[in-house]
Amino acid sequence: MAVIEFKDVSHVMPNGIMALSNVNLKIESGEVLAIVGSNGAGKTTLLKHMNGLLKPSSGSVFVFGSETKGKSVAELSRHVGLVFQNSDHQIFSESVFEEIAFGLRNFGFAGEELYNKIISTLRWFDLYDLKDRPPMTLSGGEKKRLCIATVIAWNPEVLVLDEPTVGQDYPNKVRLFALIKSLIGEGRTVVIVSHDLEFLWPLSPRTVVMANGRILTEGSAESIFMDEELLNSAGLRQPQLAQLAMRLNLRSPFSSLDDAVTWFRGRI
Amino acid sequence: MMLSHGSEGGYELAHVLLEGLKFRYQRTIVHRLDPRVKLLLTLTLFVIALMSSNIYDEALTFTAILIPASLAKSIRRLLRLLVYSLAFSAFIFIINYIFTHSLFSSSIVTVRFLGIVASTSMFFMTTSPDEVEYVLRWFRLPRDFVFAFATSIRFVPVLMMDLTQIIDAQKSRGLELDKGGPIKRIRNLVPVLIPLVVNALVRSSELAEAMEARGYGATEKPTSMYSLKMTKVDYLAVAIILTAAALLLSLFLHVV
Repeated sequence: MAVIEFKDVSHVMPNGIMALSNVNLKIESGEVLAIVGSNGAGKTTLLKHMNGLLKPSSGSVFVFGSETKGKSVAELSRHVGLVFQNSDHQIFSESVFEEIAFGLRNFGFAGEELYNKIISTLRWFDLYDLKDRPPMTLSGGEKKRLCIATVIAWNPEVLVLDEPTVGQDYPNKVRLFALIKSLIGEGRTVVIVSHDLEFLWPLSPRTVVMANGRILTEGSAESIFMDEELLNSAGLRQPQLAQLAMRLNLRSPFSSLDDAVTWFRGRI
Repeated sequence: MMLSHGSEGGYELAHVLLEGLKFRYQRTIVHRLDPRVKLLLTLTLFVIALMSSNIYDEALTFTAILIPASLAKSIRRLLRLLVYSLAFSAFIFIINYIFTHSLFSSSIVTVRFLGIVASTSMFFMTTSPDEVEYVLRWFRLPRDFVFAFATSIRFVPVLMMDLTQIIDAQKSRGLELDKGGPIKRIRNLVPVLIPLVVNALVRSSELAEAMEARGYGATEKPTSMYSLKMTKVDYLAVAIILTAAALLLSLFLHVV
């Protein structure tokens, strides 16, 4: 079953700009979907329709089969957890513990269940030792982890990440990657918006390419990432492993650096 | 409403009020006037609005405000701002009625308030933050003060953007701004206001550092790129404004 479905969705901003035009998209349960495109392509606007922050100007969005029109953001967020790009726009509590408690309380968790959920989330995200720290004093990587934790805490079926890698250094990206990978491993539906194709590539997500508020095309990661022309037209740069495979006239790209090394070793 | 698609209820009000004070560049004769003339226009309208004391005065005042507003193609924005000022006007009306027991004088005071709102916002709607800075400098106000004032106006749109994003982020975490009793609603503001203030503070200290890195304060009297120059149109506008003001005030004070 499609967990989220866009049917002929258009969205006109109050200033008259057409942010989305005629978007059709189906997100299936348990899949990993990447939405790529340059700045201003309409990616974030698309995301905001997934938990009802925005409602379509025309067309409809369905979340678990029911239309988002007339549903509150809170109702929808229970099932679709959205993590925004800027961690500083959501951190406000006096401790990491309280920050995680906030969403859970909003969704009605209380007492022992609340406490247990917070503790298990802290442990799962390796934040337990930081639980009494004011979240504003955390490092950029820790803040990002906390922001994802605050949403995963209430266990939404779908996790939507807006530009998770922005402002993250390499070790933090590696860590973030492992984290996303294990969230996917739990069978959760994960939607990632990013223009960091290097980061997305090893997740081999189904990929949607957006430009000017439209979906240019969608397909497997392999088919999209090997299409240099398409990526360029969307203002994106091919991942290096895909570029290398193309220069070598290979039909399929390397899935990892090790994969490439093995290929070269076989030739020498 | 502008930018408010991500928020609701009371937040829309804040947005519209900020929107009313936000400068938007338009190519109209009013926007192109010398900022000192625009300030004169606003102050004159302000005084006229303040002096009006009966229905005819009020009618004349609003006509006087609407003429430059229509030349500036800003009537719709102005009206929208006034509609959103109605809540506060109602408050003024009630307080006045309690003390004076006169529907008539309470109405006059309320309409006068709307006139004051309209006249003041005319200046901010048609004058860019840069121009505000030139005017303040022309008055030889201390440079730090001028800079701080102009910057705070300049950052209104940035704060609005922050506010929208913060509200979106917290709503995505299940925060329901318009739910609960009055105490709960005030408590609902905490998750919105803390990130807003913290971000504003961080940004201002970053801005201060960036300014210092570019030599702010290195000289006592920095040179200015633009100097204000009055054109023929500006002098004509001053003449019209002063004549109209003299006429209206003498009507108000029954001199003629």
